[in-house]
Amino acid sequence: MKVTMTVNGRARTFDVEPNRLLLNLLREDLDLTGAKYGCGMGECGACTVLLDGEPVMACMTLAVDCEGATIETVEGLSSGEALHPIQEAFIEEGAVQCGFCTPGFIMATKALLGESPEPTEPEIREYLKGNICRCTGYVNIVKAVQRAAEALR
Amino acid sequence: MSHASTLQVLGRDTPRQDGVAKVTGREKYASDMSLPGMLVARVLKSPHPHARVKSIDTRGVSDPQAVTLTPQEVPGIRFCPRLVSTPEATYKDWRVLTDKPRYVGEPVAAVAAESEEAAQRALEAMRVEYEPLAAVYDAFASMEEGAEPIHDVIELNDQALKVERNVACQMEAREGDPEEGFKAAAHVVERTYRTSRRYHAQLETKSVLVRPEPGGGVTIWSTTQTLHNTRILIHEIFGIPMGRIRVVKVPLGGSFGSSIQVNTVVPIAVALALKSRRPVKLSLTREEDLHDHCSYQMVFRLKLGADSDGKLVAGHLDAWLDIGGHQVQAYPLLGCVVGWWVSLYRLPHKSYVGKAVYTNKVPSCAFRGYGNPQITWAVETLMDELAEKAGVDPLDFRLMNYIGKGDLFWGQGPTVKSIIQSCGVEEILSRGSEMIDWYNRPKAGSQRGRYRRGVGMGRGYHTSSAGAPVPGTVVDFGGAMVKLNEDGTFDYVSAMMDHGGGTMDANAKIVAEELGVPIHKVNIVNADTGTTVYDVCTHASRGIYSGGGAALKVARQVKDKIRENAARLLDAYPHALKFRYDPERDQAVIYAEGVSGRELTFKELAYAMRHKNLGTVAAVDSYRQPSCPPHFTGYFVEVEVDTWTGRVRPLRVVAGADIGTVINPKLAAGQVHGGFAQGWSMVVNEDLPHDPATGDLLNRGFLADYKVPTTRDMPNLDDFTVFFTDTYEPTGPFGAKGIGEGALNPVAGAVANAVQNALGVRFYDLPITKDMILAAVGGKEGQA
Ligand code: FES
Ligand code: FES
Repeated sequence: MKVTMTVNGRARTFDVEPNRLLLNLLREDLDLTGAKYGCGMGECGACTVLLDGEPVMACMTLAVDCEGATIETVEGLSSGEALHPIQEAFIEEGAVQCGFCTPGFIMATKALLGESPEPTEPEIREYLKGNICRCTGYVNIVKAVQRAAEALR
Repeated sequence: MSHASTLQVLGRDTPRQDGVAKVTGREKYASDMSLPGMLVARVLKSPHPHARVKSIDTRGVSDPQAVTLTPQEVPGIRFCPRLVSTPEATYKDWRVLTDKPRYVGEPVAAVAAESEEAAQRALEAMRVEYEPLAAVYDAFASMEEGAEPIHDVIELNDQALKVERNVACQMEAREGDPEEGFKAAAHVVERTYRTSRRYHAQLETKSVLVRPEPGGGVTIWSTTQTLHNTRILIHEIFGIPMGRIRVVKVPLGGSFGSSIQVNTVVPIAVALALKSRRPVKLSLTREEDLHDHCSYQMVFRLKLGADSDGKLVAGHLDAWLDIGGHQVQAYPLLGCVVGWWVSLYRLPHKSYVGKAVYTNKVPSCAFRGYGNPQITWAVETLMDELAEKAGVDPLDFRLMNYIGKGDLFWGQGPTVKSIIQSCGVEEILSRGSEMIDWYNRPKAGSQRGRYRRGVGMGRGYHTSSAGAPVPGTVVDFGGAMVKLNEDGTFDYVSAMMDHGGGTMDANAKIVAEELGVPIHKVNIVNADTGTTVYDVCTHASRGIYSGGGAALKVARQVKDKIRENAARLLDAYPHALKFRYDPERDQAVIYAEGVSGRELTFKELAYAMRHKNLGTVAAVDSYRQPSCPPHFTGYFVEVEVDTWTGRVRPLRVVAGADIGTVINPKLAAGQVHGGFAQGWSMVVNEDLPHDPATGDLLNRGFLADYKVPTTRDMPNLDDFTVFFTDTYEPTGPFGAKGIGEGALNPVAGAVANAVQNALGVRFYDLPITKDMILAAVGGKEGQA
């Protein structure tokens, strides 16, 4: 099946099987491996990307359902060497350990700050509850989100 | 004045060098890698917990591109996937593919094909005939007379070893006269404790990519904590000369011990790559990963006795380790369990019997703390009870008995002994208790009503490496290379792995500190087995103490060479030259004080050396640590128990850590935060039960039914305090010690003691489930 979508600002057309997952399309066809496979069943959020600005789990999204959609992945967040403030904040606050969860958290954070530029701590925790990080205990991640919110204000 | 005040680079937060790659999605983990012409592999796994493979029929595989692999086609040797002990302590019972699976999920055959889907279809076309055998899921049932033998013969030190009663290995230890000791004790408590099986839930599932090379070699990219042991094992199994095996460092998406051993997928992928002559990638699904490894489930019978003054006099520990279907070095673990135990509190008389027992379950391997979180939970729980019996405050009781500076320490087992030279236990306990207002905590069991609060504490430690003044049965050394580049920057190369804690950055900072340059002048260079000297494995919280020790040793050699070469070029005496950093030129400078013109920047030095053909300033060396310093930690935790639902919430956490000199403050605190999350979850969530009807995991490998903490399960930022003591480890690089595992070890004890303080009820099984709490408070009582 033919499907056309905009990925990180570029219009793309793919010929896909109806059961092709968005996650595999991004990772295998476009080498956009920032979105990770962590569970394949919507439990970990490592595969989080933005679909028309909304965070979705790419492992639970069919490529054919993305017809006409705009997809943003972590690779599209910054241009050249200049980092996006969310990316800066994650580094600055030590929110990155192994980094495997980081792209998912960063994309979820982008959606959160789009919806709510000054989130309270409970709001941050509520919004990010679908993203698992096994390394950080979330403290530095929550701080990074607060720092990013401040930087973007 | 703090010892840290003279440091330039250490002790300050600096952005990690791999940070940009990680936040932009450009970091390539093993699971992200691909090669042109690569095949994708799938593994055929036993659906039976215990069976004999009678036949494997691959004739149904119609895909001409598919390459199959059966047990007959792999080298028939037995091996141990974890290689951190000497041969007399390394029990071997694994094969690349088995014809006698011993747990649900054990690899029996494999196939590689053009795509994952093609490989899966080929796998489904293979027919395996099994003869099911009786299976056993409990360590005690497994040891019973007449239980089905799980292994008949295994190997130790090149000798065949008959397995009796499914006991994989055992160890005993004894000091003093425990029987007499207990007779003299005024207060004795004896309890039986049972821990759960936990799953690492490292976020990246195990993965490997293998490229066959011309000439019969292979290049391997895999999730691993040890490049060099991977190379040694592949050499042992396949007989490929070591120089033709190149194991390349790739970032780890978390590990927590799960890749201390060479993963089961690695030799399978190597065999497939050799057979197909194509690159082969093999990544586990999450369900497969859950069937691949877990922590050790342990049962302890622990007895401690104290005299009438509250001094411990005697202890006895029986430990039974349910190790699952294979050994991933259970023997050194038996040594560590006794080591962890006896190095917590002074026990003049003590005895220990440890047994590791096979069961038909997923094999256990190291999981952050390597048994230390389990035994420390038991000890810290019992210490509270014994203190109560002796009429001493639990905190004071610990202060009277803890092992600290000047004491003998053998956390890593009976062959790894050294004397403690730095200790922040008192500072941790006094500052922590003040912050949590320890002495005004509620009286245990004094509360009524739905929500009850409790405050508990637990303390512990972990080793920083397994170093010692003399060799034992544990292999532990590392190495590094540092070289001066022609622009005055340095390259730092080491086989050490960074699990995410910032180990490599910390070691680069040690190099920078020694050479007197800012951190941006030291590059961390990616490496492989061909470009690095041996490093045993990044485990045992040894990254900074051992890896940083190696970096420092080599940086000093480089500094000497800079001095010698500069002396020659400047016509000065080497020992008279001085170093300074010039921020304007962004260069380190070596100079003869008071003599104008007699100076060179490092860049000028390297340039001049190149043009005069004097060579590169570089050094490479191995380093063995002289000691095994414990890094100490202590947790004070306040919880709230909902007696209507059984739910426990963390309200407040105060954590203190003695890690010697702090190198990366935010990342070090991050270790504590992450350690708390895992320890918390160990108490309230995590278990991996098997279904006795099928032998499979009850959750079938689905992460949906294995809950780990999320953002909402942790305390608020303001309620989580981490502090570091002002300590200095004389044998560590710039005074530093480890942190990774100590950050976790005492958490479970602290949380369990807080629950006891809230309810007045003590639990001896982990996890403490909601049902257990409801049963203990009698359901209705809480509602009154
Ligand atoms: S991989 Fe998509 S939620 Fe885990
Ligand atoms: S940083 Fe490792 S899982 Fe989040």
